[in-house]
Amino acid sequence: MVENKELIKVVEETVSRDDVKYVVGYKRGTYGFQIKPAFAYSAKDAKEFFYSPLCAKNLATYPLLEEKLPLRRGEEAEHKKIGIVVKGCDSRAIIQIIQEKGLEREDVVLIGIPCKGVIDPKKIAKRFPKQSKFVDVEENNNDEYILEIGGTSHKIPKDELLSDVCKSCEYPNPLLYDILIGEAEEEFQPEHFNRVDELKEKTIEERWEYWEKHFQNCIRCYACREACPLCYCKTCMVDLLEPQWVRRSVNLSENTAWNVMRAFHLAGRCISCGECERACPVNIPLMELNKFVEKEVKEMFNYTAGLDTEEKPFLGSFRPDDPEDFIS
Amino acid sequence: MSTQKNTELEEFEPNIIGFLCNWCSYAGADLAGTSRIQYPPNVKIIKVMCSGRVNPMYIINAFQQGADGVLVSGCHPGDCHYTSGNYLARRRIATMKKLLEFLGIEPDRVRMTWVSAAEGRKYADVVRELTDDIKKLGPMTKFRREKEW
Repeated sequence: MVENKELIKVVEETVSRDDVKYVVGYKRGTYGFQIKPAFAYSAKDAKEFFYSPLCAKNLATYPLLEEKLPLRRGEEAEHKKIGIVVKGCDSRAIIQIIQEKGLEREDVVLIGIPCKGVIDPKKIAKRFPKQSKFVDVEENNNDEYILEIGGTSHKIPKDELLSDVCKSCEYPNPLLYDILIGEAEEEFQPEHFNRVDELKEKTIEERWEYWEKHFQNCIRCYACREACPLCYCKTCMVDLLEPQWVRRSVNLSENTAWNVMRAFHLAGRCISCGECERACPVNIPLMELNKFVEKEVKEMFNYTAGLDTEEKPFLGSFRPDDPEDFIS
Repeated sequence: MSTQKNTELEEFEPNIIGFLCNWCSYAGADLAGTSRIQYPPNVKIIKVMCSGRVNPMYIINAFQQGADGVLVSGCHPGDCHYTSGNYLARRRIATMKKLLEFLGIEPDRVRMTWVSAAEGRKYADVVRELTDDIKKLGPMTKFRREKEW
């Protein structure tokens, strides 16, 4: 369990360093079970930082949102680091971005947090609807979440609220960090992401019916893209007008094109933080697509994303003995 | 009524888009033509410089715009004019086919082959086989773009 005092102390120390611009972490939200990203520019901002199983957001997107203004002649860019509070999956996102040269290792200071899994905000909001005040959740040693609402204390089995992706998480501990808070979690046996298997057993027509139903609901808000730490292209293919890959109209054809494009662009890159699925306002099971591709890539090419900063990107490399049984 | 339907099925002529690489497969198709080998006229060829140029979005876009099948063809492994373009294409198409299958779109609608400049006969065979397969699968209307005007 992460002690908040220790977290605040580490954030204070990090933000006081001369080469650090700010630190991104989590703070308590204003209503329900919502948490907010917190930005500490000085040591006194660090007091509102906290960590609890509610902190599901992947903060690895923030260093990529940094505005890079054009420089005057002779002017030099300011090289200051950004501190980020990272869980296991977030650190893998950072590794993947560094691998793709989207960031330099020197650009970030990583405050690692060993993660026991996070709560799915959609699940907890369904369980306790219409929460108008912020409620914090604690985890005890018996795999239960404890939360207090209006004077009554609730004990809920962890399994009921845990995010689906966390059940099949293989790397709960940060793989890349500068400072680690608390002790690393013990290795545990990850469950299979069984939603994918259920779908794989269906016939091809049933599968299309399933996805057609979901893609028809898509409103193309691109929340999945904005939330994803790995969707950081300066110009997204979907925004291009010439050539226009995906038209602006919201219908099944264009929605399918967009969702296939998103899933394919994350092939061999997705680190399964589940942020796209959590961000989706119409509950499209996007992680089923991502997890499926991840599994196929692992089976066919023995490649796992976000483990090594020196590795070559999946679609930018090849081996002469790659499987080619589908080629006639 | 039923006979009418049967003739309709027989008359279904698939639209197939072929992305052929400039150096091997396009020359192979050219050879098939100059050798006067008969093969179905269903494949509409788009010449690309290398099979590695084929963005998987080309395939999705072809399906949106009314294609029933897509053929991607490049040089044999090791023969690529740009050394490794076909190897990269192989990974991409392999992943794309798996993804399409998972989404419920027949993966056989996308075919990848290696055809060298000397294999006019092979190109004709590939097209014949592909056209037959797509005829069996029927038209691809799952996410075809509606004509709005």
